[in-house]
Amino acid sequence: MIYYLGTYLHDTIDALSFLRLVDSISFRAICGAITALLLTILFGGRVILYFYRLGHRDVPRNYLNYSSAGNPAKTYGGVLLVSVILVSIGMWCKLHTGFVLLCLAGLLFFACLGWVDDYLKVRHRSSDHGLSETAKLLLQGTYCTVFGVIYATQGLSPLPPDVGTQLYLPFLKYPLIDLSWFYIPFIVFTITAISNAVNIADGVDGLAVVPTAFVVAVFGVFAYVSSHARFAEFLIFPFMPGVGEVAIICSIVFGACLGFLWFNSYPANVIMGDTGSMALGGLLGTVAVLVKQEFLFLIVGGIFVAEALSVVIQDKIGVKWLGRRFFARAPIHHHFQQRGLADTKIVIRFWIVAGILALCGLATLKIR
Amino acid sequence: MKYLLTGGGTGGHVYPALAIADEIKRRQPDAEFLYVGRRDKLEAWVVPEREYPIRFVRARAFPRSKSIGALLSFVLALFCGMVQSVLILLRFRPHVIIGTGGYVSAPILFAHGLLSKIALSRSRVFLYEPNAHPGMLNQVAGRLAHRVGIAFEQAGRWFDMKRIAVVGYPVRSEFLVLDKKDARQQLDIADSEQVVLVFGGSGGAKVINEALVEALPKLADRSGLTIVHITGRYAGADYDAVRDTRHAVDKLQLADKALHYRAVEYMGDIHLAYAAADLVVCRGGAGTLTELGVAGKPALIVPLATAAEDHQAANAREMERMGAARVLYQQARWQDGQIHSVLDGGDLAQRLLELLDDGEKLRQMALAAAAVPRRDSLSLIMEEIENISTERRSAALNLEYPMRPNGPPAEANALMRWVQAQVHSAGGIESLEPCDVAYMRYQADRLLVSRAWCEIPLGRRNVGIKLIGLLGYEKQRSLLLHILLDRSPVSWLQRAFGGDFYHGGILRRNVVEWGIRLLGAADAPTRSALEAALVEDPYFEVRSASARVLDEHGQPNKRTESVLMEALEDASPAVVVEALKALGNLATGAELLPALRRFYLHPNWQYRQGVVQALAMGVDRGVLAAEDVAGELDEIIASSPFFKPTFALNESLRLLALRLEEGRKGSSTDLRVL
Repeated sequence: MIYYLGTYLHDTIDALSFLRLVDSISFRAICGAITALLLTILFGGRVILYFYRLGHRDVPRNYLNYSSAGNPAKTYGGVLLVSVILVSIGMWCKLHTGFVLLCLAGLLFFACLGWVDDYLKVRHRSSDHGLSETAKLLLQGTYCTVFGVIYATQGLSPLPPDVGTQLYLPFLKYPLIDLSWFYIPFIVFTITAISNAVNIADGVDGLAVVPTAFVVAVFGVFAYVSSHARFAEFLIFPFMPGVGEVAIICSIVFGACLGFLWFNSYPANVIMGDTGSMALGGLLGTVAVLVKQEFLFLIVGGIFVAEALSVVIQDKIGVKWLGRRFFARAPIHHHFQQRGLADTKIVIRFWIVAGILALCGLATLKIR
Repeated sequence: MKYLLTGGGTGGHVYPALAIADEIKRRQPDAEFLYVGRRDKLEAWVVPEREYPIRFVRARAFPRSKSIGALLSFVLALFCGMVQSVLILLRFRPHVIIGTGGYVSAPILFAHGLLSKIALSRSRVFLYEPNAHPGMLNQVAGRLAHRVGIAFEQAGRWFDMKRIAVVGYPVRSEFLVLDKKDARQQLDIADSEQVVLVFGGSGGAKVINEALVEALPKLADRSGLTIVHITGRYAGADYDAVRDTRHAVDKLQLADKALHYRAVEYMGDIHLAYAAADLVVCRGGAGTLTELGVAGKPALIVPLATAAEDHQAANAREMERMGAARVLYQQARWQDGQIHSVLDGGDLAQRLLELLDDGEKLRQMALAAAAVPRRDSLSLIMEEIENISTERRSAALNLEYPMRPNGPPAEANALMRWVQAQVHSAGGIESLEPCDVAYMRYQADRLLVSRAWCEIPLGRRNVGIKLIGLLGYEKQRSLLLHILLDRSPVSWLQRAFGGDFYHGGILRRNVVEWGIRLLGAADAPTRSALEAALVEDPYFEVRSASARVLDEHGQPNKRTESVLMEALEDASPAVVVEALKALGNLATGAELLPALRRFYLHPNWQYRQGVVQALAMGVDRGVLAAEDVAGELDEIIASSPFFKPTFALNESLRLLALRLEEGRKGSSTDLRVL
């Protein structure tokens, strides 16, 4: 909105020519982050109270079951996170570009899916009554296939035709191979895996938001580089005009995550629930695919990868196939809880690791 | 009128057909009959004995496995059978087709379905379903029938409501004219003898045969007892009912004992044996139970554990509830490295002797058996057959749907919750009825026998193990120990990924944590098994659970202490921590303090926590001197990365809620948590 307003004003009124600033991606990115952060902090408290009153919280009202050592009933605040991101994107992005529309679609679809899951859990007052694993995977797979088709079809895809279906790897200057239509199953796997990994990681207060912030920050930098003809040429990245909008979205999500941490830090009174974690995961996956850095997620999102792998190893290989466990509990953060680390310790250590991994990811800008 | 009868495989399907045929013959002496069955099944020799003409077709059961080969051979057999059936139908041209289920009747019914489509067959079809849970092919054939007679209301679920009639189970007419004296004369048994009839259904029951052989030595010295044993003619690759039973009995040398034992492979006039018997040992199929009622005989029922939906156990329990029978359940037993469902011969002998010694009881049971309500099944069936052959409308059926589910849930975990609820509401196992406890333990046995332990989550065998502990099923303790110490390996692929033995880690863990912990570990074999598991088992959860259970149930002794000391070297922290705590409880001497001292500076706080608990326990028990320990406390690292926060508001709310719950008044100062 502000982008369109600014453009209109500096085009029509000479005195407002300083509003050319809105053409600058870095300016809009920074403003977007600040907007998202402030919106969350200013309205967060009230929104959380509203949802608490609605009954969207993870423990039913039975005070006899409380233990003084357990964190009290937390509100499902995923809607807060998602709506702040939406509002900020609406304010600062060029809404008519393919990149923004695809990101918005991903965010909204996964948010809705997560919301249904949360709603069912709240309604049945049990975390076992959400959507079934198969239903989730099917819905995600369907969406991702549609997304993949749009992505791989010239004319529909916002990416330049010579870049679209090329497979880029970190540490390599040039694309490995052209996957052409096989890029679609690859996209389906990537986005589904990333969104579920973020969902799994969201288990302890503050555990998912900060690594997400790190990941979007790194992807934002990559998007910015790809969108800038001279940077792209200098660092030998594919030049993709328009992908700068993705950088702005990354920046907005970064701000929203920090704002959410304001309330979500230990001991949290709000959690993002499936709505938030699926939406963030879906958006992360979309962004990774749009900036052509899918494999970078293995490094930058190492925390999420580890969480997801721990579940697969423990559940699918261990319990279901071999009849044994490999970790004390899965996902891996529960393993550390079981081994006697306090939640705060686990969360901050995971942040540290995520930070180091983000730096490693940034290093691949130049080490290629 | 021409009647075509079909159905077979087991007595449950053949005998109703024969009973119906006999009744038709009685009413219409000029009726013509043709029986269609399978050449190698029961009907092949039972039907000719009764002087009904029989023709054979090919037939095969609907495959339960999902293999393509099984499905193909089924389709092929069905096709061949249908071609044969078409020829039979075209030549015989029956007015009425009576199918009594079993897959044998499928080709005829399907062939009739085809022919009637092209107006070549105008037969009327009556289908009879003796089971509460119809077979796959009967469910399909039900659509071709003009009328479906069912023995149990529950079976109505699988058929078209408008076409079903509840008719009960028809019993052959010989049963209706029975006299004990005559029967004994014909069978050449003295009147003074007590007669026990043992049989396992028409197919013969391996389980019952083997249990009886096992029980015979205990019955051998009883005089005035005759056992009539019908072994059945089952002969498979691994078991031949006639030969194997004879071999086993020959070894017992019963000839010079007081017991009169006679074994026959098959008895065409089984009604005589019924009439002569004082007690019957049998399966819990609907046919057998109806015959028991008609004959008015007390029974010891051994329900078939693999029956669909466990309906035999339900039937048997119903008979037990009415006082007409006692139930003896099959049990799980460890044999050659696997778990089999068997009947314990010792139990069988004991129950038999108990009942035989109590004549008054037997009389009451006989009266109760005769009083079990029955439908006049044959005349109901005849009425239905007449209705369809004259195309008269039958009376409307009044059934309530959905059927009230009876008995425990079938799914394993739901079953466990059901058992827990039963035990909880009774206030402990001791206050449950003995017959209910036996039934629940039988459910545990049934789950244990299942090989499908890798279902989600962790399958039936796993739940069976837990149930053993929950139900205090002392008899299966040795089975648990066998599972715990079983070392049969899994495939190399699974081992490459970290699998170890056939009974996977979680199963063994549950043996210790649910089974042994709830049963107690006071006896020597259990303790030595736990000690072996603690040091040898490759799976960490088994080792740590063993240490915990030793801690809970063990007595201080040298051997356990040395094993626990060994466990302190374990690579898994969970094991060492449990071993440390257990040592505090079980250590006997002065070696405890130096052993604990090694962990004062351990980086993992849980080890130090274990040390502190062990020290406290050691001082309490007087194994450690208080002044020694007091001098060393400063050496223990006191910092830790773990804490339990207290949420003051939360605690106050809880206290308030608790106070309101109890309806008492307290001072509001309790709520000031901080």
